[in-house]
Amino acid sequence: MRHVVIGNGISGTSAIEAIRYIDPEARITLIAGEPFLPYSRPMISMVLEGAVRADRLPLRPEKFYESLQIETAIGEWVRKVDTENHLVETDKGNRFPYDRLLIASGADPRPLKVPGTDLPNVFFMRTQAHVQAMLEAISEGARDALVLGGGLVGLKATYGLLRRGLNVKLLIRSGYPLSMQVDEFAGKILLQELVDRGLEVQVGVEPAAFEGNGKLQEAVLTDGTRIQCDMAVIGKGVDPAVSFLPLDKIKIDNGILVDEHLETSLPGVFAAGDVAEHFDIARKARRVNAIWPVAVEQGRLAGMNMAGRKVSYPGSLSRNVIRIFGTDVLTAGMVDPPGNGEFESMRSYNEHAKTYRKLVFRDDKLVGLVMVNGVEQGGVLMSLIHNEIPVRTGTPRERLAAPSFNYSQLLFK
Amino acid sequence: MKEVVVHPERCVGCMQCMLACATAHSKTKSLLSAVLENPKPHSRVHVGAGIYGEGFPNRCRHCDPAPCLQGCLPGAIYRYERTQSVLIDPDRCINCLSCAMACPFGVIRYHQDALALPGKTIALKCDNCLERQTKGKIPACVESCMTGALTFEECNESLRKKTKEVARRMSVGAEERISSGIARGFSLLTGLKQAQTAVNEHLPRREARDE
Repeated sequence: MRHVVIGNGISGTSAIEAIRYIDPEARITLIAGEPFLPYSRPMISMVLEGAVRADRLPLRPEKFYESLQIETAIGEWVRKVDTENHLVETDKGNRFPYDRLLIASGADPRPLKVPGTDLPNVFFMRTQAHVQAMLEAISEGARDALVLGGGLVGLKATYGLLRRGLNVKLLIRSGYPLSMQVDEFAGKILLQELVDRGLEVQVGVEPAAFEGNGKLQEAVLTDGTRIQCDMAVIGKGVDPAVSFLPLDKIKIDNGILVDEHLETSLPGVFAAGDVAEHFDIARKARRVNAIWPVAVEQGRLAGMNMAGRKVSYPGSLSRNVIRIFGTDVLTAGMVDPPGNGEFESMRSYNEHAKTYRKLVFRDDKLVGLVMVNGVEQGGVLMSLIHNEIPVRTGTPRERLAAPSFNYSQLLFK
Repeated sequence: MKEVVVHPERCVGCMQCMLACATAHSKTKSLLSAVLENPKPHSRVHVGAGIYGEGFPNRCRHCDPAPCLQGCLPGAIYRYERTQSVLIDPDRCINCLSCAMACPFGVIRYHQDALALPGKTIALKCDNCLERQTKGKIPACVESCMTGALTFEECNESLRKKTKEVARRMSVGAEERISSGIARGFSLLTGLKQAQTAVNEHLPRREARDE
């Protein structure tokens, strides 16, 4: 059996480990564009911040591929997948035949469609190389940074640049940061924390153009204002990396559609991680949950299925946790449900302890969670959502929101 | 391989295990001096109150596959095969809270610790008292538990004992149950219930009372 895996992010890495675990004989080829060992992508912002050195990013030992007997094509980008002849073609002209193919190509930063994004010092923050380039710009004297987008990437870039001592201005289209992850209340607590540390924020605006003579000097906003800046970071979300696929032959929505075995509409072709669209447990709908733990679990299960052990995937759950200065925010599932009477929300806020909890229920099940500070029990609540465990009268809902909530309260009914 | 087994029905919530755990993970290994240490040692086992106020010693289950290990961003969480323990490398830990989000039991805490660089906050959880075990000692929480809510034994052995306990409860007389010393709380309740039934039986019947 010849397995080909595209991408050495955590999903592809988890997959090759699973294949090798089940089938010691299988031929496995890994094709990866980024010339690094599997590394921790979420940690690149900590390299920017200066909290860890780049040599802490690799997640597997140096002889990882050799020890698992993986054939590699590192530094080669896939250009084409010939699904009829079962061939993968790279930019170096190499062709790799496959019996089973895993597409774990991840996602690319969504480009901003305004003039001037090709100027030097206009960055994305997705790869190790991006962060290296940002650090070079800082060491060459960049002082005023403009960050676009209040999502996780924008927020982490903002945090990192603030800790590097730059003047940072953050532009958020919606009224508060992390609007896709948290509710307004939690978003505003987070925003206040950043503003208290010297961040300038402008909400409801977007850039119209970047200007500069040979390098970035100014950003022009939709309302006509001009902002002086010598570096900019674009954090406007990501798009699945599918450009090399025959789009007429494989079913794609927001990501590559996969079934419960992580198999795409083409038999023998699997997809996992940021590129795959499966089912969201809380939302009860198809969804790409482009987050680290989902990439790990999908990669692992895809690998097992590829190696012939049929394991089905129940679906993923959107979730995230972030620590910004002294504020922790943990979120999972549906945090801002539509007000159609289907959902019930419960909130508690302790001003003194600066803790906030919001729980969202659909019937007797927890489907959404926001926690600000005191997040240690977040995993317990998240597993209630993840496993769709009904919260009955034995564990009153108020208890779940109380600071004293702990696992033992779920034991006896 | 022996492991720590939790018997929640026997826990009285005295929190001796927490004290013992914190001491076992201190620099000086003595309660008196441990409280003076900086950073202060923290317990890896957490006695939380249940819905009736009953205690429950909540500790790491060393799951396999472990959600915290899979969710760890810096790859700091790993499995130590010899004791089947899930451990955290204090140097690699970046205090990102990803394991708090992953742990379905809520047993991970974030503190400064003697194991970490000074001033660095890291994720802390049960390590099965690896240090003590290499010296031939049993985990500190088990050693300190006076009610048998925490035991250190082979998993199969523990299961066998549990089965026997249940079987015996079902098959002997109430007197013996109360005096047998097995699961006293449970037997006491059963005894009480039986006494109550006996009292009820001696009460005048409804029709008689109505007269």
